[in-house]
Amino acid sequence: MSDEAQVEEAPREGGAPVARRREAGGWKAARWVRRAVQIVALVFFIYLLFAALQRRAAFPYADFFFRLDPLAALGTMLAARQWLPHLALAVVTAGAALVAGRVWCGWICPLGTLLGWFRFRAALQAATRVPPRLRSVKYVLLVVIVVMAALGSMTLLVLDPIALLTRGFTTSLIPGFDYVVGAVESTLVGWGPGSGVVTWVEAHFRGTVLPVYQPHYAQGAAIFLACLFIVLLNVLAERFWCRYLCPLGALLGLIAKVQALRPLVGDGCSGCNACVRACRAGAIEGIPPGAGGGGEAAGARVVTSECTMCLDCLVACPEREALSFGLALKPGPWAAYDPGRRQFLAAAAIGVGTVALLGTSVARAVKAPGLIRPPGARDEGAFLSRCLRCSECMKVCPTSGLQPSLGQGGLEAIWTPVLASRLGYCDYSCTACGHVCPSGAIPKLDLDTKRKQVLGVAVIDRNRCLPWASSTPCIVCQEMCPISNKAIVLSDRHLITRPDGTKDYLARPEVVPKRCIGCGICEYKCPLEGTSAIVVLPTNPSLAVGGAPGNSTSPEG
Amino acid sequence: MEPLKRSQFLKLVALGGAGLAILGGPERALAALARADNDLDTAALDGDPAAAVAAGTILAVARGTSAGTNARKAIAAIGGMRKFVSAGDVVVIKPNIGHPRAPKYAVTTNPSVVATLVRLARQAGAKHVVVMDNPVSSDPANCYGASGIAAAVKSAGGSMHVMGSSGYKSYAIPGHLLKTHPLYAAIVNADVLINVPIAKQHGSTGLTLAGKNMMGTTSDRGRMHTLGLSQSIAEINAKLRPELTVIDATRILVRNGPSGGSLDDVRVKNTLIACRDWVAADTYATRLFGMKPAAVPSIKAAARMDLGTMDLSSLTIRTV
Repeated sequence: MSDEAQVEEAPREGGAPVARRREAGGWKAARWVRRAVQIVALVFFIYLLFAALQRRAAFPYADFFFRLDPLAALGTMLAARQWLPHLALAVVTAGAALVAGRVWCGWICPLGTLLGWFRFRAALQAATRVPPRLRSVKYVLLVVIVVMAALGSMTLLVLDPIALLTRGFTTSLIPGFDYVVGAVESTLVGWGPGSGVVTWVEAHFRGTVLPVYQPHYAQGAAIFLACLFIVLLNVLAERFWCRYLCPLGALLGLIAKVQALRPLVGDGCSGCNACVRACRAGAIEGIPPGAGGGGEAAGARVVTSECTMCLDCLVACPEREALSFGLALKPGPWAAYDPGRRQFLAAAAIGVGTVALLGTSVARAVKAPGLIRPPGARDEGAFLSRCLRCSECMKVCPTSGLQPSLGQGGLEAIWTPVLASRLGYCDYSCTACGHVCPSGAIPKLDLDTKRKQVLGVAVIDRNRCLPWASSTPCIVCQEMCPISNKAIVLSDRHLITRPDGTKDYLARPEVVPKRCIGCGICEYKCPLEGTSAIVVLPTNPSLAVGGAPGNSTSPEG
Repeated sequence: MEPLKRSQFLKLVALGGAGLAILGGPERALAALARADNDLDTAALDGDPAAAVAAGTILAVARGTSAGTNARKAIAAIGGMRKFVSAGDVVVIKPNIGHPRAPKYAVTTNPSVVATLVRLARQAGAKHVVVMDNPVSSDPANCYGASGIAAAVKSAGGSMHVMGSSGYKSYAIPGHLLKTHPLYAAIVNADVLINVPIAKQHGSTGLTLAGKNMMGTTSDRGRMHTLGLSQSIAEINAKLRPELTVIDATRILVRNGPSGGSLDDVRVKNTLIACRDWVAADTYATRLFGMKPAAVPSIKAAARMDLGTMDLSSLTIRTV
């Protein structure tokens, strides 16, 4: 280690600039380990995003980061009033916080890692200008979320950092990436050697890194701007989101109040504040000499609930004995900005009020508010109390038919998945959404069971349908219907009179509601421009009850 | 030392080759010999004797329980694969892989037929043999896999290609209806296009055969439906002009086509039709369903455009 020993300049403020030797090499190595772990975790997160991109069979751990997420676990289990073993891995993260505080934030969280890379020069100066009391916002959000979950509402889980990042990638970054690739390819394909490059790229990357079809998502741009806003907040302070807003960070921070292993300020501290300046989380408070009024020496203290265990302070400390890493059983300090009882109560009141407000939405006044949910998610209330709004299902959907909802289900259902059949249908040979759903809001179904799930029922608009409205031959919907004995049949051939006076027979499609599962391929494929002449509506109990008895149950894929 | 004579040189090369083969392991050498025996079907490559003397266009109808053998017999009967594929050609084979169904449902082309054509095209010297379709009811990987075609093509040494949206270009189309239409550039630019549909029932066109199968080369089916399907099908075929058409009627779907899904709707015909004239091949195939060619309007439209003949008496029909 001696060759790595550091000669660090003593701080400019306070005391004469004397060079002191300190062996920071060990902490430097540990910090490299932390950086490596961060990169590995981020790469793994991105790998999982692509492993569950427009697939019918996704990597089984596609939701791995959600399983580690205690906020997702706590929120879902509270709202669903059920112990969900699938999310039990979150205990590991919570346990890690008991041992070593917010290691999740500093070492694992992919959003934290990314935000850590967006450092703005101005941020360093501005950090002090952000009022420290803002740090309590994250606790207020956490309490609001937990209270709402306890009352059955998952709406504010949209703020879960893993859901937030997944949603950003799903609805904007991955579609944007594919669009750029497609645009470059379209330019290259018309130019001699370029078409070879395109062929090679398509052969090697289409269906893995590149989605099979260009995805399009409602509100993709708006969600991107929301993500961009979170990045731009970094101008005000480093990792602004993590310091002031992140409800998962708040949850782990509360646990970290009693974390066992933590940076400890020892007697050798000269109050040089090198650690205070190095701390990216702003978790260390410098103590001026005589702060206690009794002429004590200068020092520093680490607010464990804010510390992300990044180890930068240990590298920065120029004293041999001043800052170390060790076991402490006393709870960490309660900072001036930490929330008090009144704030907790106010937050709880906000939670109750929000649930009440959301509950008065008109969407609740209608029996089926026009939402076609993913296969198996039939009970709207139960679905809303389980869905994390993470958009994993939208990303894996091979047709990108699952879209983030905005107004259809009221504000309480924002960014939950709805099947927009005109944009993409529910593939008859696919069960992927239920297999990537972290919370089980969409049930895991085998193919045979999934094929019997009734999502809605198709209805033909005879005022627009080509053979009905203009006697133009067309049976695309019947042709596409995947039910083996067809839920769309061609009715007896109708004798029609053409505009030129000639008579002809014409086949016209009709829906057999009992057989229809509402997969929406008919609506998707209808050749009319704009609105389809056949649309899937939420199931009408008078039309289809308890599944489609005429369905094929053939086992092939 | 006197120079080697050519015969001596060839002997040395042969001996050296044999030695290497033995060094490489007797199993491998034997396997290579067996492959050469089984697979280098000279009749399927160069045509059988009767094909050489037949007058005009030949339409071959092969019958038998092995779909792969039927394909070899039919290709031999129309003059052999070398008549269609030359050394260095890029060959595109276009089966019907429209839906994710197992072969038994008679919704997609029989994998052995596709694999046999891949193998013959490669033996005829093709540089690349690429198999592709633009499936309608699911994504390519799913359909390629479920149909069994991906595995068969791979084992035959060909490659499956996913038709990405950037690969389509707008082309001028002969005829009065479409004028221009987007088609997949790699298919239009192929040296040889082999159309390998499965014969099945279809609501809009009566049957889906070779002509309709070419709809898998476009990214815009909707426009064809709204403008007039049968004429559109004839017109894109006029642009694509496949060199060879092989209609798989090993198992045919007689109801609830084209997506099927029930074995009740499948009939076993153990038949394969091969012809360079797809209109003639489609005309013949209507017989398998007990239908008149006129019931498939795209055949009529194609004949009107002189893309081929509906008059089977003008052809040499060879049943093998």
